[in-house]
Amino acid sequence: MREPSSTTWQHFDFLLLGAVALLVIFGITMIRSAIAGNIELLELNLVGRQIIFAIGGFVIIIVTASIDYHLWASLSRTMYIGTVLVLAVLFIVGSAVFGSARWFDTGVILIQPSEIAKIILIIVLAYFFSRNMGDALDLKAIARSLLMTMGIVIWILLQPNLSTSIVMLVIWFALLWASGLKLKHLLLFLGVGIVIPLASFPFLFDYQKQRILNFIFPDPDATFGEIYNIRQALITIGSGGWFGQGYGQGSQVQSRFLKVRHTDFIFSATAQEFGFVGTLIVMLLLLFVIFRCLRAARLARDSFGALIAYGVATMIAFQAIVNIGVNLNLLPATGLTLPLVSYGGSSLLSILLGIGLVESVILRQKSLEF
Amino acid sequence: MKANNSTQNRLTRRRIIAFAVILVLAFAIFLGRLFFMQILQPDEWVVQAQDNNTQAFNLPALRGIIYDRNDTILSRNVASYNITLIAAGLPDDEGAVQEIFRELSELIDLPVNQGELTLEDPYVPCISDHGIAQIALYGESATPYTEVQVKCDVKEEIAMIVREKSMDWPGISVEIQPIRDYPTGSLTASIVGFLGPIPALQEEFYRELGFQANRDKVGYAGIELQFQELLAGLNGRRVAEIDVAGKILKPDIEEPKQPQDGHSLRLTLDTRLQQASEEILKDEMQDWNDYFGKIVYNSGVVIAMNPQTGEILSMVSYPNYENNRMSRFIPAYYYNQLANDPTKPLLNHAVGDVLPAGSVFKLATAVGALNEGVVTPDQIIDTPPKIEITEKYYANDPGRAREFVDWNEAGFGQLDFVHGLANSSNVYFYKLGGGYKDEVPDGGLGICRLGTYAAALGYGDAAGVGLPDEEDGLIPDPTWKRINHAESWSSGDTYIASVGQGYVLATPIQVLLSAAIIANDGKYMQPTLLRDVLDPDGNVVELWVDEEGNYYDAPVPGARQISPFKEYQNWDITEDPVIQEFGETTIRGCEPIIGQTKTVEPWVLDEVQEGMRMAVTIGTLKKQFDGATISAAGKTGTAEYCDQYALAKNLCIPGNWPTHAWTVGYAPYENPEIAVLAFVYNGGEGSSVAGPIVRRVLEAYFELNAIDSAAQNP
Repeated sequence: MREPSSTTWQHFDFLLLGAVALLVIFGITMIRSAIAGNIELLELNLVGRQIIFAIGGFVIIIVTASIDYHLWASLSRTMYIGTVLVLAVLFIVGSAVFGSARWFDTGVILIQPSEIAKIILIIVLAYFFSRNMGDALDLKAIARSLLMTMGIVIWILLQPNLSTSIVMLVIWFALLWASGLKLKHLLLFLGVGIVIPLASFPFLFDYQKQRILNFIFPDPDATFGEIYNIRQALITIGSGGWFGQGYGQGSQVQSRFLKVRHTDFIFSATAQEFGFVGTLIVMLLLLFVIFRCLRAARLARDSFGALIAYGVATMIAFQAIVNIGVNLNLLPATGLTLPLVSYGGSSLLSILLGIGLVESVILRQKSLEF
Repeated sequence: MKANNSTQNRLTRRRIIAFAVILVLAFAIFLGRLFFMQILQPDEWVVQAQDNNTQAFNLPALRGIIYDRNDTILSRNVASYNITLIAAGLPDDEGAVQEIFRELSELIDLPVNQGELTLEDPYVPCISDHGIAQIALYGESATPYTEVQVKCDVKEEIAMIVREKSMDWPGISVEIQPIRDYPTGSLTASIVGFLGPIPALQEEFYRELGFQANRDKVGYAGIELQFQELLAGLNGRRVAEIDVAGKILKPDIEEPKQPQDGHSLRLTLDTRLQQASEEILKDEMQDWNDYFGKIVYNSGVVIAMNPQTGEILSMVSYPNYENNRMSRFIPAYYYNQLANDPTKPLLNHAVGDVLPAGSVFKLATAVGALNEGVVTPDQIIDTPPKIEITEKYYANDPGRAREFVDWNEAGFGQLDFVHGLANSSNVYFYKLGGGYKDEVPDGGLGICRLGTYAAALGYGDAAGVGLPDEEDGLIPDPTWKRINHAESWSSGDTYIASVGQGYVLATPIQVLLSAAIIANDGKYMQPTLLRDVLDPDGNVVELWVDEEGNYYDAPVPGARQISPFKEYQNWDITEDPVIQEFGETTIRGCEPIIGQTKTVEPWVLDEVQEGMRMAVTIGTLKKQFDGATISAAGKTGTAEYCDQYALAKNLCIPGNWPTHAWTVGYAPYENPEIAVLAFVYNGGEGSSVAGPIVRRVLEAYFELNAIDSAAQNP
């Protein structure tokens, strides 16, 4: 481990933090507009909750950034075992007691362990791959990494939470790729990657099958069926124009034709209230955040740090792409939210935790920078 | 860190660039899509968003009122109270909701739980019989912010109780809906008609006119149908902004269009005379039925009109129906019962039934024969009990003998014109119509000339009194017979037509018109039921109507004024050349000589009027008008018929067919102001049942006149 003295806050990425802060603040503003008029959601005080999570999240960023990320490497095994245990217990006890098992009640706030598990998976995989990069990345190592990943994913899949499972598998694959996945292995995966979705389709839950089928074969008559939400999202986006209908003025948002507008469809709500220009800015901010993470990966002192940053970038990028793709009806409906913007405390916390890790990496970057 | 391979960053630039490329590519696609949707095709989406967000409300216009000539209301709108429920307005507490339902249930006598909402048994406002909870469930899921009807047409007291309870019963309210009410009910049903829902086939048509299909009603019969366009008015419209649950956010996002209430109508009818006419008809039929000891007479028509103006004062078609029973919805069992009734109560027989006219048609033969010089008024004609005529189908047909008998089995001996008419001698009119040897040479009047005189007296063409389903009747001619019976016109057909039998068919209003034209010295005044059209404020409006039925508020060529009332003369047979001249009648049919027309000599009408007067003083109506203080004139008819009902009862015995009874009369003889027709289906002898009806209605008219003038000059 390097001496802490080599860490200087002058490397702290204030631009990344600033962009993240802008997105989170914009998200809270948008959530406020999206839930206006819905008494039940107002009573839950979602805006207040999101603010609390955001404040907590920024504290976490500072704390995490100040901790040398190598500490997590030494805790890797413990964290992995702990995560698997928590998820397994949650699944077994949760499904026995509550029927559904996504949430973990801490007494004060509900935490979704699967969200935190994504970050832990990034750390664990980054640590594993950093020791198996390049030539060392043989099929055996790949198989081990996949096995490790599945050790967590299996419990998430059983919850059942398909979208988070896919996010985790994507993180695994991205880190695998970053670690120098060989072309022949890639081709092998591509082959398997086509076969597995087709082969696994019959084992999906009905609602999951339905979502995919609705995307591929939309039923023109199903106005109030599964495609209703997507249809309303498209109307919401399309009626935004250049500058939108104004904050708190979006007809689809305020009259509640757009469903789950504070989470899955906050992108559509943004598009109607702030128009093409506003949405473009949000998308550019997201791109900027991801690129700053990639920059951290590039500047990282060692592979472990680089892979952490790369993993966090992947997590944010993939969720953003899927969420926006769903909003624009370019991808089948999933439950993925827009990172940093959508309502969701656990999700926000885990992403801010990821940003904290990236800051930790960038703080301890190569000393050879001018 | 034990492994040296982890002490440096081995993440290659390539692998980062690959990530970035995918990321930028995805965002570029998204931006392209976003740009396409928001900037290139926003209109499509904006329209859909507005569609989502706005709801148009159709504001009903109030239908016009129908009055009689003395402003007695014949048709109006009354409030009907519906108990409604707004699901979103109910309390949140389930127990409180149940409490409200329980109390409401007791009040309106509707179970809280009854039936189940299914595809087979859906909620239909006012018709389906679901419990309150089921209706609430429907409202909650379909239209949480819109009223759904729980119970329709409750008593006013109940509606008031519900209103008082509105503080304790949130979500429950009272809706007031106008429904049609007919204070005179069945008395005027065959004239006023009734309303019904917009038929599915005409939904598109009415929707374009601004009607709302399952709310607004349209005329189905009578005046309500005939003047639908004037009565209905124009619905208004407002557009509101709503949210996903149907809650109104902004009440008027565009200038609301207020509804324009319909026009009211004032008819020419006098409800008092209508009432008298119906009572007299029923009473006379009842008397005879009592006399027979069974029901023989059960259907008839009475019409009274002013021959000088064409105003119809009463028009009874009996039996009729109760149009108040159709006011909310048309009960299927009642409608079917009416539709299957052999007396056809749904039909206004006065204008819609075509019947053999019988001897009343002799008026046409009489006018024609005198005007054409077939006989002179003083010429004495032999009128034995019967004559034998050779029935010929073509000019050189050797023919075969056929007997034509008089109704008077003893015969009248010898008659001049006025006595021939007064006694309604069949033989006299046979000879006039078809000719007889040297006595009435050259085949008499003949069918062609008879036809043109009948047409001049109003036969053969719907009179246009302002009712739907008016019939034309039939003036037969050889061409018609060829086409419809594939047979040549025979000389016998002419004899029969001369007395209004055979193929001649007329509606009661046409028979009345023929007498009214004669009474009015040849002036054919357009008969009408409509007197004035009133705007919603009750002011008489000026209105013209053309042949196609389009209304104008200013004079237009070809349009005649219908409001305010102004009598309209169709023609005057003594001045307008309405009589067509014919060349030689051939087997091919009547051959009119184009351009050769003429009028009727005024003295001809004097003679016919005198004959009709003598019918009352010494002729067929002498007994019925015995002791009358009014100077009436009239004509009777006993028309043989054989329709499907007579056939079914085996009444059609050759030579002894059942007969309808007709009598038409007018008074005062010197200056006729009232003409009355009575018709009794299967009424036997013309004068015996119909005669007294005409006399009593004439008397009732003058009695009412006296009352009115006494009221005016106290």
